[in-house]
Amino acid sequence: MVVPFVYAFNILNLYFFMFRIMVLLILKTKFERERTMDGIIDIKDLCFRYSQENEKLDLSHVDLHVNEGEWLAVIGHNGSGKSTLAKAIDGLIEPESGEIFVDGQKLTEESLWNIRKKIGMVFQNPDNQFVGADVEGDVAFGLENQGIEREEMHIRVKEALQVVNMQDFAKHEPVRLSGGQKQRVAIAGVLALRPKIVIFDESTSMLDPEGRMQIISLIKQMNREEGFTVISITHDIDEASLADRVVVVDDGKIMGDSLPEELFQKGNELIDLGLDVPYPQRLKFELNKRGIQTPSEYMDEGSMVNWLSRSILKN
Amino acid sequence: MDKMLLGRYINGESLIHHLDPRGKLFLSFYFIVIVFLCNNWETYVLMAAMVMLFVKLSDISLGFFIKGVRPLIWLILFTVLLQIFFSSGGQVFWHFGPFTITDQGLINGVFVFCRFVLIIFMSTLLTLTTTPIEISDGLESLLKPLTKIKVPVYEIALMLSIALRFVPTLMDETTKIMNAQRARGVNFGEGNLLKQIKSVIPLLIPLFVSSFNRAEDLATAMEARGYHGGEGRTKYREQEWRKNDTLAVILFIALTGALIFLRN
Amino acid sequence: MVKSIHIEKLNYVYQSGTPFSRRALTDVSLDIKTGSYTAIIGHTGSGKSTLLQHLNGLLKPTSGSLTVAGNHITSETKNKELNELRHHVGFVFQFPEAQLFEETVLKDIAFAPKNFGKSDEEAEQVAAKMATLVGLPDSVLDSSPFELSGGQMRRVAIAGVLAMEPQILVLDEPTAGLDPKGRLEMMEMFEQLHQEQHLTIILVTHQMNDVANYADHVVVMENGGLIANSTPERVFSDPDWLHKHHLGLPQTTAFAAKLAKQGVPFETLPLTEKQLAEKLAELMPQSGGELHG
Repeated sequence: MVVPFVYAFNILNLYFFMFRIMVLLILKTKFERERTMDGIIDIKDLCFRYSQENEKLDLSHVDLHVNEGEWLAVIGHNGSGKSTLAKAIDGLIEPESGEIFVDGQKLTEESLWNIRKKIGMVFQNPDNQFVGADVEGDVAFGLENQGIEREEMHIRVKEALQVVNMQDFAKHEPVRLSGGQKQRVAIAGVLALRPKIVIFDESTSMLDPEGRMQIISLIKQMNREEGFTVISITHDIDEASLADRVVVVDDGKIMGDSLPEELFQKGNELIDLGLDVPYPQRLKFELNKRGIQTPSEYMDEGSMVNWLSRSILKN
Repeated sequence: MDKMLLGRYINGESLIHHLDPRGKLFLSFYFIVIVFLCNNWETYVLMAAMVMLFVKLSDISLGFFIKGVRPLIWLILFTVLLQIFFSSGGQVFWHFGPFTITDQGLINGVFVFCRFVLIIFMSTLLTLTTTPIEISDGLESLLKPLTKIKVPVYEIALMLSIALRFVPTLMDETTKIMNAQRARGVNFGEGNLLKQIKSVIPLLIPLFVSSFNRAEDLATAMEARGYHGGEGRTKYREQEWRKNDTLAVILFIALTGALIFLRN
Repeated sequence: MVKSIHIEKLNYVYQSGTPFSRRALTDVSLDIKTGSYTAIIGHTGSGKSTLLQHLNGLLKPTSGSLTVAGNHITSETKNKELNELRHHVGFVFQFPEAQLFEETVLKDIAFAPKNFGKSDEEAEQVAAKMATLVGLPDSVLDSSPFELSGGQMRRVAIAGVLAMEPQILVLDEPTAGLDPKGRLEMMEMFEQLHQEQHLTIILVTHQMNDVANYADHVVVMENGGLIANSTPERVFSDPDWLHKHHLGLPQTTAFAAKLAKQGVPFETLPLTEKQLAEKLAELMPQSGGELHG
């Protein structure tokens, strides 16, 4: 029978897993430098490479300015360096050169933990960021790290779960949750910490359509109603279209910085940039192929529907 | 693996479920110690009555406890037979070489059996009524004094609780990869031992790779959420020592007294 | 009509006979034609993956039977016989890159054919062929699969399944987690396999656009049973029914439904942007139209 083997290996694997986390947590990133700036995030001439042996920089002379209260979408195909950029902002990786300022404070070894309090991050894989034994335990994890008093924790956990509409699941274990629900818990964990900036690192890419739409509308609510500065790293056209500004990353460099509607006009080029082509744009392309002229400016779905129905129904 | 490591928690609202895990952990351990005070029928009956009372109070059907005995049945029977064949004293029923069966041996055999069952029932009671995370929290507080001699108790407890939380995830992963390799023509558990061991490699490597990646992701996520060691952390889950916990301790003290009084 | 898969009154109960028993499939009957492209849609927990696992003999029916590529399977079927079935059914699991384990890409792709009795040499020949087919450059064949990018690892895993030269290819959300370019390339690759190798394809997906663009048949599952078994045109013609079952529409159909609300006449809702553009071209005043309405 193979079952005992599997058990044995799994136990082995579990020890290996625990050991691995311990090692990773002991290796901490190091920084030095300081000064102050205006925007909520300012990045100057940032360079990074994962390994000294790499000839190419994984982030190459990145300059980026993020305004307070803004929703910035960062797009780029897989492996373009966009997630690396997000990790750099939170001090999760150590840059080779360049400077990062968050809320007027320079990212250094001393300021690192203070800066992390201002930034919440939601990652891609719903399973690999769920630390707690149950939902409320997971939301509380960040609060425990900050040494918040228990009474205060209970209030904040409850509030945060209400915002993401998971209050009925407080005692649920992660196995009993869908991917979308786990991501909502991750967002609650961020909300409970009351940061100024929230970074979503492909947080919707592993979800089903329903979960995806729920997370996107939560991000929207957080940005529009609750004033969080949002950076969303994404391939999702719906997510990107809600942003105030879109930055394109390719090959570790920032290749473009534009309003969503400007960017969306690029049509099929977008696929190479790691984004879907917006539907109205695709339809325009097919119409043009059939000899129908369409307005040259970008139209979202609503205006495209209006334009088409007007053109068809007016005669 | 879930079952093998820690038994299976059964959700409930019973008196036993609501006892403080620190007390439960300590008393379960203490129970194992005082079982060894038993040396006659009266003491075993008293202990058995106690355990049955706890089982009743836990609102969990007896079947789950009996299931806890099953995996260990061979070990128990082996020990019981050793007792029966190798005890001396009392009337001899049967004798062959080094083996003797005496009435004392038979009685000892029954006692050993009872002792095993009592211990298994009690530890099963602990795992059936206490979530793994409560056990891990309970252990953490019980082991707190060890921080004085620089044992990283907080870190170990946190790692233990994370590992527990990932047990079902890793089990799922195992099933998934087993299925994927089966679909590619691997027959797990067929052929000779060498072949079986070889068939595990396509399972083992992907599992290690995936937990490697998971650990990396998780460490990043923990760091991003401000985890920097056990120092200065507060605890969200509360352990509350209530009147019932004190009563349980008093009950166990009385039980010890009664055992000492009843034993030969 | 040649049936590649014939499922009759299939029932499946997890942990049957224990207190934890849970019914996953109820009286599922389904025929799938050879060379067809069938999409299976439904929510998580609707029974999709349980059904798929039967196609590959990873699960045996609790009651009922199925015939897949000539192999008849009931609850009585011996595990040994399932191997024959697996040979004919290629199964690409969700995030299939998790199954890679060999030292080199080529060896990993050759793993399945070797298990099914091919010699090392034959297996590696097939492997090299499949690597090209999925668009892997020759230069990566001798490197470790773990050194590749996520998208390439997925290609290796898919090549590893194709190397069995199956008649039926089961795809469980094959594009999950890829970027849009990767998704498009992957779906085009399967379409090509379908066209050129005449593989019977069964695709489980949440992407209604993919259903509209590629499938010729749709099966909708809910609570362990089939609630629809028809063509994409039929299934997507009723947005209200889909909405009731929490299922989405292909973008084109959703867009056309909005146009219909404004009064644009459609006899049937189109599924792809090509169909919609075609229709709109007919309806437009004259080709050329008028700018800015």
